[in-house]
Amino acid sequence: MTEAGEDAVRLRWLPLRQSITARLVWMSAASALLIFALTGMVLYTVLKGELLRHERDGLVTTLNDISYQIARAGNTERWGRVQAKLATLSQADQHVSFWISSSDARFTYGDLSRLAPQAIRADEGNSVGRLHLPGRRYPLHIMTRTLPAFEERPAVDVTVGVDGEPYFEMRRTFLLATSVFSLLGIVLAVISSYWIARAGLAPLRQMSDRAQSFSPRRLSARMPVEAMPQELSVLALAFNGALDRIEDAYTQLEAFNADVAHELRTPLANLIGETQVALARERSAGEFKDVLQSNLEELDRIRSIVNDMLFLARSDQGEAATARVPARVADEVQKTVDFFEFVLDDSGMRIEVAGDTEATAMMETALFKRALTNLIQNAIQHSPEGALLRIDIACQEETVRVAVSNPGKTIDEHHLPRLFDRFYRVDSARQDINGSHGHGLGLAIVKAVARMHGGRAFASSKEGVNSIGFTIARQ
Amino acid sequence: MKILIVEDEQKMSEYLCKGLTEQGCAVDLAANGVDGQHLAIEHDYDVIVLDVMLPGIDGFSVLRALRKVKETPVIMLTARDSVEDRIKGLHDGADDYLIKPFSFLELLARLQALTRRGRAQEPAQLRIGDLQIDLLSRKAFRGGLRIDLTAKEFALLAVMARRQGEILSKTAIAELVWDMNFDSNTNVVEVAIKRLRAKIDAPFEQKLLHTVRGMGYVLEPRATADSSDD
Repeated sequence: MTEAGEDAVRLRWLPLRQSITARLVWMSAASALLIFALTGMVLYTVLKGELLRHERDGLVTTLNDISYQIARAGNTERWGRVQAKLATLSQADQHVSFWISSSDARFTYGDLSRLAPQAIRADEGNSVGRLHLPGRRYPLHIMTRTLPAFEERPAVDVTVGVDGEPYFEMRRTFLLATSVFSLLGIVLAVISSYWIARAGLAPLRQMSDRAQSFSPRRLSARMPVEAMPQELSVLALAFNGALDRIEDAYTQLEAFNADVAHELRTPLANLIGETQVALARERSAGEFKDVLQSNLEELDRIRSIVNDMLFLARSDQGEAATARVPARVADEVQKTVDFFEFVLDDSGMRIEVAGDTEATAMMETALFKRALTNLIQNAIQHSPEGALLRIDIACQEETVRVAVSNPGKTIDEHHLPRLFDRFYRVDSARQDINGSHGHGLGLAIVKAVARMHGGRAFASSKEGVNSIGFTIARQ
Repeated sequence: MKILIVEDEQKMSEYLCKGLTEQGCAVDLAANGVDGQHLAIEHDYDVIVLDVMLPGIDGFSVLRALRKVKETPVIMLTARDSVEDRIKGLHDGADDYLIKPFSFLELLARLQALTRRGRAQEPAQLRIGDLQIDLLSRKAFRGGLRIDLTAKEFALLAVMARRQGEILSKTAIAELVWDMNFDSNTNVVEVAIKRLRAKIDAPFEQKLLHTVRGMGYVLEPRATADSSDD
């Protein structure tokens, strides 16, 4: 793989949107390239060192062989024999060459200075030099040793040269083989990693196929967690959790829509029917007036439902109470209780306000009074005549708690948390004791107001006392 | 009272025009922002009813253009029940706003409140038929007889008397008497009216406190007995 190829790898797998398979393939290709390149480099360096050592050993042996005879050649006669032997040796092995130079022209062999005028001296520590000869593809490996003067002969430099061709050929062959095998290895790594990725990601594909089949018609469909590999089962569990919450919300919304339709259908049916009856024959202005007045009442009911639903929708969207001001809770409670003065008086009921009357909280007073009005209205509706109601104010760590209690029929445990659901009624007979004006959204609004003030709604029922209330954040 | 209504929905502008004309107002209509802006700037109105969602230029732009020239009181009508709208409207210089669907009575009350501003001090004594109310000493008399009222009963009577002849919705009464400015879905106002009626009307021949079915209550002397009274 070339430099440019590696660049392309880096550029293309950086974006995270790339498919996982492609990322895995690119990454294993890159790591294969790295591994093969490192291994090849190490092996090549070791091999090169070993080959060079082998060359040097050969040169040293040859030098030792001939040095013995040359050292003892002290006169021209003996030198003639040295020359003859060297000529024989050169002829026997074409790869080996000899040169001897000295200050006395009689005691020489070959002319090295003509080939290498720069006079190669590589005798210290048996180091190997290189000599490039014209017409040869590879340089010679040479080694030179100086022999001291003997009898007539002055000191001579003996140089042995060995053809470098086998050495360089071997290096070249090894490099080529390593490269080809590396390339093949990388291709193999790419193919196998592609296959591994495909096989490894198969559960993910199954999961997505499964998810494709989910729809509002099949709300209860879930990911089979048991059948999933361990890593994916966590994801599947999280996914199923999200589906659970969506199913809950969806079911609640559907029920809510059905309830809304039902609540609106009654007044609408009244409106249409009454108007049709009125128009079916000639009537006096007075009769028409009656119809219009009756229609107005129904329309007002619809308006009220729609407004309350809009309010709840805004709270659902996370709207918080914006115009909050610091207020003494007991003051706002008292104002709301005063509002019910006449109603309480009429039914012989009383409201006792108790608890932390000094508690203060940040609140949008209109919303607070609206929530409390709904709670008091609810308590009055569900209490017998002459009952004593209680409003308890309690200051808690971060919230203020306001609870309205009334004596009444104990509410079943399973109804309690659902009291704040829209249009939820404990008794299926949709009639209250003291004549209802509400439309089943009163307690839902209490919950919404609490949420808009960073609090929550709560309800309890025991020993004939029902207590419903809410908390709001103090700050 | 001279009123300009800028509203593109025909049905609404028609009934507003009819209702306000019958209340003795002179009403001009504009069905889009361009005409509305032109009329609002060229003529002098006591109050302008301005819809937010208009074809051409929207209500906020009309309001901004108007405010550069004059300070005519403006009530904005908005269908979007969101806080941003309200803040934006009031910030741009609207004097009041109403959220659709609103009741005609509510609009009427707001219009009167806007034009009543800066009017002369209200009288200390009010008279409806033979009912006499002293707002300073907080006493009520009918046919020379003192009527014994609790504080809240008197507050209710005073609210009704100040707006005699004007139909007040239950929501408006709850707001004016108890400062409960929301739809409360309670029967508090009915109960209160019943008590007040028992004290000021029951012993007397002529009834003053009337129920207008589907709309609210009105305090006024009527020549004949009203059939719709409870």
